[in-house]
Amino acid sequence: MRKLIVAVVLAAVSVVLATAAWGSTKAPQRLAAAGTSLVKCGSTRTIGFMVPATGPAASIGVQQVHWANFFVKTYNKSHKKKIRLKLEDTMLGAPTGTAEALKGAQALASDPSVLAVAGPAGSNEIIAVTKSLKSAGLAWISGSSTKTTLTTDGTRTGYMFRTVPPDAVQGTTASNYILHVLRYKRVYIIDDQEAYSTGLADTVQAKLKAAGVKVTRDGVSQQQSDFSSLIAKIPRNTQLVYIPWQLVPKGQAFGQQMKASGRGGIKLMGSDGLYDSAFASVGKNVYDTNFPLNPSSGIIASFRKSHSTGEYFGAPTYAAVQVAATAITKACAKGSTTRAKVRAAIQRTRIPASASLLGVALRFNHNGDLATLHKFGLYKSNGSQFLPIG
Amino acid sequence: MDWSLFFDLTVSGLTLGSLYALIALGYSMVYGILKLLNFAHGDVYMIGAFIGWFALHGLGGPLKPDVGAWFAVLGMFLFAMLGCGVLGVAIERFAYRPLRNAPRIAPLISALGVSIFLQNSALLIFGAAFRDYNTFSLIGGKTYNYGNLYLSVPQLMTILGALGLMLALTLFVSRSRVGKAMRSVAIDREAASMMGIDVDRVISVTFFIGSALAGAAGVMFGLVFGQIYQFMGFIAGLKGFTAAVIGGIGSIPGAMIGGLVVGLAESYATGYLPQGSTFQNLYVFALLILVILLRPSGLFGRAVIQKA
Repeated sequence: MRKLIVAVVLAAVSVVLATAAWGSTKAPQRLAAAGTSLVKCGSTRTIGFMVPATGPAASIGVQQVHWANFFVKTYNKSHKKKIRLKLEDTMLGAPTGTAEALKGAQALASDPSVLAVAGPAGSNEIIAVTKSLKSAGLAWISGSSTKTTLTTDGTRTGYMFRTVPPDAVQGTTASNYILHVLRYKRVYIIDDQEAYSTGLADTVQAKLKAAGVKVTRDGVSQQQSDFSSLIAKIPRNTQLVYIPWQLVPKGQAFGQQMKASGRGGIKLMGSDGLYDSAFASVGKNVYDTNFPLNPSSGIIASFRKSHSTGEYFGAPTYAAVQVAATAITKACAKGSTTRAKVRAAIQRTRIPASASLLGVALRFNHNGDLATLHKFGLYKSNGSQFLPIG
Repeated sequence: MDWSLFFDLTVSGLTLGSLYALIALGYSMVYGILKLLNFAHGDVYMIGAFIGWFALHGLGGPLKPDVGAWFAVLGMFLFAMLGCGVLGVAIERFAYRPLRNAPRIAPLISALGVSIFLQNSALLIFGAAFRDYNTFSLIGGKTYNYGNLYLSVPQLMTILGALGLMLALTLFVSRSRVGKAMRSVAIDREAASMMGIDVDRVISVTFFIGSALAGAAGVMFGLVFGQIYQFMGFIAGLKGFTAAVIGGIGSIPGAMIGGLVVGLAESYATGYLPQGSTFQNLYVFALLILVILLRPSGLFGRAVIQKA
């Protein structure tokens, strides 16, 4: 009798496993088909939105949510055909971050109403979701992932687009300033172990070392708030600490703890992830690089009215949703479309500089990078906010 | 030998160790009495940090406190300790007491549930944004400098404050009537009950004190490191637990020493070991494994003979 029960259980398990395996092999075919299957556009079009709404990086995710919602609100006021965002929380920086991103990508991929995706925010997440989104035929436009190879390794060509310049551009801007304007010889670089940060740190480190600067490299977890032991390692004669991090509060805490350790005189330089008045408030010794924004843009002025703080990190996400909405509108001209048509429309995007808060026209090169954006801006803190210096 | 680096790492290690010791005390006290690993303890510490932040802002904020900076700091500690104490008692009353006679896995699962509940409640109520204590504006950025030794005011306050609280706890447990009752319940709950000790009350007091210490640690963290957020309790709780195990779980002096050992180990590992700042948690938890293997009862714990 016992043997019979065991045999029945084994048979049941085999059936379950076989069914699951069959399902998993069939899924990509179904998803691949989704890229070319016809979708009725209807009066409300859906854009998937992958963002770290919770988790350690929620502080930047919230900014992206604000900017994306701001676009949707503005767009829906002036258009008969509405758009809506379907949000998937990617929990960037949490131990389960990339797994959450993958789960979100699969949810968006399996929803036929989703025509394009804005996000994800982080480079690691992009790597994690590539297969799911690609096999479903979905294009995605990131407003913050800057790892250079994401668009140059050929894996995502025609699917991935971004509204921020890559690390190679930002890293060059930062290292040129350190080498040719500040003329520093002792630099300490600390990455936050995310692909975004390590990529930028690698670029700057290589350029500084090649120019004969003494560079010390270190790393710290994004989940850490206590930097005292790490700071203790930074020699007091260091001239500049470069921290290309994603989380503003961590950058601010690092700056404050530098001061508390008696190292307040050492210059700090952040990257676009830290471009925020909170990081600038650390002191006048703080520099930063950021994607250029059009200071006279009416969009930015209007956003400022409804949002009290200067949440500029989310601005390229506004551009990402804008690109997706414009492409979907074009692809839906005949009332129905496919994800493949939306992808093609994104590749052909032509949004004039006058309608772009980045101050340049939005159009992409073959790789999916903005063809019009070739430099980062440099900023220095006046003690409370960043002012442009180059 | 770079003495400047050594002193910096020592100060940093003692500061961290003081925080871990305060958290470890809560773990140890509860384990000593209930044989329960209260995994929600790290989140009580997080709530304490938030209560401290709200107290500070209720008292006028760090830029212009209504009552003077040091009174504001005192207020933060009082509110956080009281709030966390009450929270600890509530957790025990609603999440653990109904499971007191259940198999030991049940309250453990309940503790994990409470931990996730507290984390997500904090996210829902306080939002995702980090909160800034703005210690520089509140008490200034003065750093004491003696040769190679640099010590900031919040660091000094944390080390001395934690030492004071640990001393007070030791005196309370060894000299007071309630402290004696706590020790009795820890030795044999049933016998203590038969001797007329109100066990439920003693357990509540234990949770109140342990949670209040975690609340104080939360405020200290905010003052030293500047910023607080809803996930801060997870890893701090694990390190507090590690400290309690290294010191000998159930032992109050063990928790104190264990906290300092973990803090110093973390700091020296960051400073001296390859890629120390990246893998500091690896080194800390490797230490935990090493202690469990070599001395399962911890530095100050006593081996317990299990009945067959």
